[in-house]
Amino acid sequence: MGSLLEQLGWSKYVGTGTGTYTGEPVLARDVRRYSLAIDDRNPVYRNPEAARKSRYGAVVAPLFYVTWAVGVPGAEKGLEELGEDGLATFVGVPEIPNVWDLGWVRGGEEIEFFERVRVGDRVTVSGTLVDIKEKDGKSGKLILVTSEFVYTNQDGKKLATHRLTMIGTPRKDASHA
Amino acid sequence: MHDQFYFQEVTEGQEIPVIRKDVSSVAILMYVSTVWLMDRIHFDHPFATLRRGLPGVVAPGNMGGDYYAQLLSEFAGEEGQVRKMSFQFRNFMLAGDVLEVGGKVVRKTVVDGHGLVELELWMKNQNGINCVPGKGVVALPMRAG
Repeated sequence: MGSLLEQLGWSKYVGTGTGTYTGEPVLARDVRRYSLAIDDRNPVYRNPEAARKSRYGAVVAPLFYVTWAVGVPGAEKGLEELGEDGLATFVGVPEIPNVWDLGWVRGGEEIEFFERVRVGDRVTVSGTLVDIKEKDGKSGKLILVTSEFVYTNQDGKKLATHRLTMIGTPRKDASHA
Repeated sequence: MHDQFYFQEVTEGQEIPVIRKDVSSVAILMYVSTVWLMDRIHFDHPFATLRRGLPGVVAPGNMGGDYYAQLLSEFAGEEGQVRKMSFQFRNFMLAGDVLEVGGKVVRKTVVDGHGLVELELWMKNQNGINCVPGKGVVALPMRAG
């Protein structure tokens, strides 16, 4: 019997692009609300006057906001198009054949920061599937899919590189279970 | 806020100032609505527990990334810079959890004139469980002379 990864036939997708997307301009309102949600009280995220006097000279977004600055492509759908879980798409899982034969959870992340996201920025993300591995977990086979996302702003400056590993396990009702 | 940390004054093994995070259901709702993350496990308790078998409403793992970004940004101060961080999701952060987010200096190096501090990071809930272990790299300013 071959490995789960061989059955899925996914190894050939390593190194392929997962799309390039550019977001709408970052809104001050979103940055402010985001900083409230994470309860980070640094005034550079929500007070233009304090931000002007800071080293940034204007409002910037909290560091990890860069991973949301483009929005999630395909996530904004009408209610009739959503699954019962509320989702139209899932963050971090590449669109490869039979990807939903597995159930996915976030495994780990690695992010390197270069420049801050500022209000008004139009951020572009470009993704590549960089690694797929099979492992033996406590309750069976696991597939680890790692994607790398490079974020740049409208001036072509690199903002961050972000590696995300998703862990997939066969769904009980799928053909590969 | 603490005074600015300088590279020369930080020692290996030193713990950095912790932050405490109240993972309330309101905070989770603020987060998922701001970023448009409509996964029902983040706001619908019966769905999360009865349908998905989760121990409660779970916070998006992403929020852990934000908590570490804040911890490291506050350690870096006005003159420092957060360079990198990485983390693994080991245990759920649940609505109602109170997290202690902290770190310890494990290594200091000077690269191209920048003082880099490597840290081991933790995010412990009220039961002492490290939900999201991690690592970070921060550049601290050097004292002249």
